[in-house]
Amino acid sequence: MTDSPNESGTLPDRTGGDAGPPSVPPDRRPEPGGQSGEDAPTRPSRAGGRRHLSASTRYVLRRLALIPAQLLFVLLLLYVAFTVPTQIAQQASPDALGFFRGFLQVLVNDFTGNWGNADFLRFHLPWTQVYAYYIPPSIQIALFALPIAAALAYPISLLAGWSRRPGLDAPAQFSTLTGALVPVFVVGLLVVNALFFSYLGWLQDVPNQGLLPTAPWFLDRGGYPSWIIYDAVTQPTGFPLIDAVIHHAWVVAFISLTKTLLQALVVAAAYVAIFFRHARAVVRSAREEPYITGARARGISERTLLWRHAARRVTPSFLLVFALTIPEYLGVQFAVEAAFTDQAGFGNLVFADLTSGILTDIQPLIFLLAIVILVWTFLVDLVALRIDPRGLAGR
Amino acid sequence: MIRRPGSSNGPSPTAVKLERPTWRDRWRRHPPNLSIWVGAGVLLVYVAAAVSAILVFGKGLNVLPMNLMWVNPQYAASPSWAHPFGVMPGIGTGLFRAEWQATPWDLEMVAGILAIDVAIGYFVGAYAGANEGGLCDSVVTFIGDSIGTIPTFFFVIVIFAGIAAASPASAGIPAFIVVFGLVLWPTMARTVRDRARSVAHEPYVDASRASGASRFHILWRHILPNSLGPVLAQIPLDVAPIFFVLSAFPWYYNCAGFGPPPPPPGAGPGGPYLVPQLPPFSPLPATTFPEWGWLLGVGTCEGVSFPGQFGFWWMYFFPLIVIVIFGLAVGLLCDGVDRWRRLHR
Repeated sequence: MTDSPNESGTLPDRTGGDAGPPSVPPDRRPEPGGQSGEDAPTRPSRAGGRRHLSASTRYVLRRLALIPAQLLFVLLLLYVAFTVPTQIAQQASPDALGFFRGFLQVLVNDFTGNWGNADFLRFHLPWTQVYAYYIPPSIQIALFALPIAAALAYPISLLAGWSRRPGLDAPAQFSTLTGALVPVFVVGLLVVNALFFSYLGWLQDVPNQGLLPTAPWFLDRGGYPSWIIYDAVTQPTGFPLIDAVIHHAWVVAFISLTKTLLQALVVAAAYVAIFFRHARAVVRSAREEPYITGARARGISERTLLWRHAARRVTPSFLLVFALTIPEYLGVQFAVEAAFTDQAGFGNLVFADLTSGILTDIQPLIFLLAIVILVWTFLVDLVALRIDPRGLAGR
Repeated sequence: MIRRPGSSNGPSPTAVKLERPTWRDRWRRHPPNLSIWVGAGVLLVYVAAAVSAILVFGKGLNVLPMNLMWVNPQYAASPSWAHPFGVMPGIGTGLFRAEWQATPWDLEMVAGILAIDVAIGYFVGAYAGANEGGLCDSVVTFIGDSIGTIPTFFFVIVIFAGIAAASPASAGIPAFIVVFGLVLWPTMARTVRDRARSVAHEPYVDASRASGASRFHILWRHILPNSLGPVLAQIPLDVAPIFFVLSAFPWYYNCAGFGPPPPPPGAGPGGPYLVPQLPPFSPLPATTFPEWGWLLGVGTCEGVSFPGQFGFWWMYFFPLIVIVIFGLAVGLLCDGVDRWRRLHR
């Protein structure tokens, strides 16, 4: 699975190169034959009888050990970014022990959930509670956006990357670069305005107020029901759609679903532009594979080549591209959420924190974000490894 | 390689000296393609705009004139011959002049950030890839993987905020350039490293090593030139986050989320309409500073953020189109150079 991205040169792999250089170019490396089973991939000969763990287990363990190290590094880097300039400004004498103690305290606070109290919006609650309120709506959007993005990105990347005609590839590249250059929040706002304010008057109250109907909508119907607190947070699960269904509020559920789908569509469209720029190189290198050329020479149709032979080969590489672009996906979703919604959601939390001018509030956010992305990337890596264990050969 | 007739006068065939083709040879054999001409031409127009702005506006380059009549969006004029891009409310300036005045500042910013990004990422990545498994390689991989876990804009704002909290005076455009360049380089180094890793095992590199070439020679002569592809692929992608950071935070601070901050009653030009303010961690010195991203943020704010303002299209369209054409020109140029370069292998 590392072979095609490395060949493309635009997609880095995420392993420390301790497996030694492959002696043959990866795409000419022999396929694992009958002697290696499905779960036991190409067994490195140097393992011999000395080690009893399989190559995949060792890789998973090493990858698992890397997560805390990377987490510590990110937290340390941002702790330095917070404190050292302030200390320099206060002309305090450099105190290594104090610095270390401070960092240790931050770590302990992060891990024990002692995140301090929020003075955020109208909340005067512990930050942990605010996060518990704000994260479920974002997960709801992601659960809709990710399948839509996959359904769009997979065929588009395959078709446009496969095509030799400049008529398909050039517009695809042009539109993806344009899509990357136009900030997502502008796209989101234009969609909101175009759909709801100027042309379609019939859902005027939809775009604001998070994933719930707006305050006037509720006021017209006798105020907020008891399962919505702070005008924005639903109980008991926190997912607006699920809570509305639980309380049999079908109209609220419908409006929530509409808003979720709309945001998910914008997120997916913007993410496909990012994904395609990486995936194109993967498909290009698959197109040049000897076995594809051989199959073409035997008269197999282009459609079969693309959807049967190439599509299977690029799937694990696509998963790696996805793992690599998870931070970019989250950035896109944050911006879209901020553009669409007024209230609950991780996007608003991130943007509000970053524009609040209060640095200490950002610490738990970084902690949470780093953990989410590191674990998510790890899981996607595991799935990619499960689908195509050949990738271990390069690791 | 080209065997040049003038250089093959040696006594025996083994003494034939092969020279690298000069740039003139390359130009003659493969003239630049259309992408290069178009990309370079558009970028030249931008540079000409920047130079002319410096010459025309002189010392007033960093301040936009605020016409109080235009601050209220109600009186914002749409595009006309007098104001080709229309008028930007809030800032109170003709948008064409604002964009023109902003060109040198933005070119400086993008060039500075990309220079730091490429200078560190290219060399460190190539060195790491050439010495695979070494200390530099492990460090670069680890740093790249770790920094790659957090969205770029997040890192930039947080580090810049630290600087701004320590000394607001030093948190200007130069600090922004340095911070952004330092956040971007690990991604560049990662992509270059992967290419350099495969180049380092090519037969010609082995041959060069076997014939006694030094490590520096191999790096300089073989690995760096052959690892240029990922750099050219990454540069256009690194332009986008710069303008995202510069536009998204002004927009959010003024117009999104929890509503615009109430204007001070009766203070200055403030009234029952929005006068944009700089977000807390902004590299810009004042709201009247000309900058594309800031203009886009304010234009989005004034033009789209509030219900029913869809008719004010020019306020966000022109700032957007200036940025997009610039980014596309960079992309075209890099893509063209990459294809042109591959012809000379």
